[in-house]
Amino acid sequence: MDFYHSYATINQKLARGVELRYGEKEASVLPRAPRLLRVPRIGVYAGTGTSHSWLWFVELFDRMSFYEVVFMTEGMVRGGALDGLDVFAMSGGDTTRIAEGLGPDGGRAIESFIRGGGLYIGSCAGAYLPLKSSKQHLDRFNFVDIKIANLSKTRPEAKRMGSKASTSYGCDFVYHPVREDVLLRMTGREPFSRFESFRAPLYGGPSMVPSGACDVLAYYDGFTEKTLFLVDESLARQTLIGKVAAARAALGDGRLYLFGPHFEHPLFPTANHLVATAIFWDMRKGRQSGGFSAPQAILEGPEKEKLVRDLKREISNSRIVTVGLEAIPVQWILGCKTYEPEKIRVFLEAIWKRIRVLERSRTICVQQETCEEAVAMASRVTQLLRRMKAGIDDLLDTQDIAWDLFDSLRGLTTLFLQMYFDSLGARFRLDS
Amino acid sequence: MDYLSSNKILIVDLETGATSEEELDDDLVSKRIGGAGITSSLYETYKDSDPVILGAGLLTGTLFPASALSVISAKSPRTGYLTHSPFTLKAGMELKYTGFDYVVIRGKSQKPVFLWLHDGIADVQDASELWGKDVWDTTDHIRKTMGDDLIQTLVIGPAGEEGSDLAQVCVNYWANGDCWQFGKVFGSKNLKAVALRGMGLLEISDAEGFVDQCFEIFQAIKGSALSGKRGVEDILIAMGESDAREWLAPVTHRHSACYNTPYPTNTFLYLSVDPATLTEPPEPEPGFMITDIGALLALKKLGLSAADAGHVLKACARRGVDPAAVAEIAGKAGQKDPKAIEQSLASMQGAATVPEGAKFSSWAPAQPIFGDFGISGEAALKDWWVRRQAVAYLFGIHPIFANMSPELSEEALLEMANKGAGLELSQEALDQAIADVCS
Repeated sequence: MDFYHSYATINQKLARGVELRYGEKEASVLPRAPRLLRVPRIGVYAGTGTSHSWLWFVELFDRMSFYEVVFMTEGMVRGGALDGLDVFAMSGGDTTRIAEGLGPDGGRAIESFIRGGGLYIGSCAGAYLPLKSSKQHLDRFNFVDIKIANLSKTRPEAKRMGSKASTSYGCDFVYHPVREDVLLRMTGREPFSRFESFRAPLYGGPSMVPSGACDVLAYYDGFTEKTLFLVDESLARQTLIGKVAAARAALGDGRLYLFGPHFEHPLFPTANHLVATAIFWDMRKGRQSGGFSAPQAILEGPEKEKLVRDLKREISNSRIVTVGLEAIPVQWILGCKTYEPEKIRVFLEAIWKRIRVLERSRTICVQQETCEEAVAMASRVTQLLRRMKAGIDDLLDTQDIAWDLFDSLRGLTTLFLQMYFDSLGARFRLDS
Repeated sequence: MDYLSSNKILIVDLETGATSEEELDDDLVSKRIGGAGITSSLYETYKDSDPVILGAGLLTGTLFPASALSVISAKSPRTGYLTHSPFTLKAGMELKYTGFDYVVIRGKSQKPVFLWLHDGIADVQDASELWGKDVWDTTDHIRKTMGDDLIQTLVIGPAGEEGSDLAQVCVNYWANGDCWQFGKVFGSKNLKAVALRGMGLLEISDAEGFVDQCFEIFQAIKGSALSGKRGVEDILIAMGESDAREWLAPVTHRHSACYNTPYPTNTFLYLSVDPATLTEPPEPEPGFMITDIGALLALKKLGLSAADAGHVLKACARRGVDPAAVAEIAGKAGQKDPKAIEQSLASMQGAATVPEGAKFSSWAPAQPIFGDFGISGEAALKDWWVRRQAVAYLFGIHPIFANMSPELSEEALLEMANKGAGLELSQEALDQAIADVCS
């Protein structure tokens, strides 16, 4: 079954005003329920502390035609932007930096969003964030009574990838027993009732032990030929197998889905399907369908051509430098995360592959000042990359440039993707 | 053109800095095939603005063996008519991956510029910082400022800027067969360089069949007469210089092939470091890469040692002058002192001898190398060479390798072009395209 096509059909029909019910006809990919479906309004967190994995959500939403998407910074969260959303998706990164960036006001805003019926989907760092913690910054996000199983008083000996094998967590250490594919066993609870087992990639996400009321959706069940052990295999087995990999918890009128592995990773269609199912099943209930975005300026003709060309120029320049960087054995430690040059290209490719869509599109939905900001930021990314390459060639420390670069990349990608999703969303709505 | 092509012809007006694009028409490809065939056609369209035209062959940049060639076409100041110069190494392939199959550079810029072609984008950029730099420093500067060591350049040195009759367009750091004074043409347009880089992909009509057949041809070449041969030394031996190996041995460091070419036609000489040294040399490249076999041979015939010839060729490349012309002029003047030749480069006058009516660079030796093409007689040899070069310049085959490998027959080239591009080119169409490009 082509899940992407199934969800894209649902979303495109809903955007055109077609009435669909859960589990019926074109929506048969979803469990049955006597409710009408509507287009979910999704916020993707791309603020301080996030790594590149939020782009996996982007890929999933794009392939499944979820186009009512807002890319959010910590300022937007604190400023009330969650109020207009049904779903808030938080992927990987540095959990403590994310919590610090959001601050107490951000924590309150997220809690209020969920209690008001909103759906929180967190994977990896996004799953750690709402778990019980007394650690500074994280203590404002104690939404779910689930403990972390991969926590130790002593730092376990790393078999490989020492910088990724563990990180300090207050007086303790969060350790990451394995990376890459793991086997998960479903519990059969709704809405994840159609599969017994599947694979998903684990890149540092939690192994969970519930202590309060929550629905266990999947357990860690085994390893695969692709599993990479970062600690002794017996410790990995003890830490993961039989522990919770995916859980669903209630907070007020809302729900949280917490995924240890990256269910949104683009190479795992079954896991992606479960994310989409969760969105439709538990998105904020009781709202009416309606206009989503604030009215946007429509760019067309030579102005549109110029914007696309200016962006394409800079992204091409940046990609060219980045490919050269990938041949150099260099990495940067930003916060508690290790970044390699390959991660730069993940951002650039997310833009590059979509520029062609905008190139072919007759119009782009974007405000004039956003165009200028995006082009200026793209140019800045190129300049930073060139400075970085020159610095590395001259054997200079490029750590400061890396901080600046990854922040700028995140900002640029966010701006671009917002105009991309707004433009495609508008196109579907206009087609109706 | 949907296959083996980016489907784009770029038109650059240096006068205004404006660029525009045209689609590459299937009919044009069916009639003129590619490379010099289509640059000739574009030249006719734009000849009022004295264009320099870059063009990739139909098979350039594919998996087809030796598909390394693109061409520069322009009216040569030397001959007064349209001629074609090859560019290989990785630059020929890179042109196609910039997203443009053909680039028409019209008019003259008011100030020094360089053209930066990347991923379907053409930028006319200020070159005031580059003007005055030699070929090597220009390429280094472009690569450093653009942040990528893989950028390929067509570049002129001081000779081109000064309008010297010896000026050559070099590729990256090296001579590459421009015997037509195109360096002077670039200089007259205030065009210091064309920088190329692209990360595009080519679509292939029958991808599986194309790749399988490329592999079969590679296998056939592997077992052919060039098996076990390598570098400039074996080419020189095939040309009758039986002592070439011993002559080059004291300075030979390694051999290098152009993109996807099954024979390394280039040889690196170490000039300031013992080539037997196994450790990293103190400087990035303590020598010179021989790419112009004719020029090397002419210097050998003057009695220079291989090391001295290397020093002269290096000086030619940095200044951006045609080394074959320099060797010929020095020979006629009886000049055999390498230091004196180097010192005279800035003031040297004259030009290389060009056969009457020649359209293709004499960079490729005028004879079969290694392979047996069944040619006998001087007239037949001359006709064979012209036709063989025309075929190479249409399809994008390395012009020296074209003279080595009978396996790359016209029949094989047509079959692969049709398989790859989804066309139905016939032998008659090829004959006509050859006649057009040679006329």
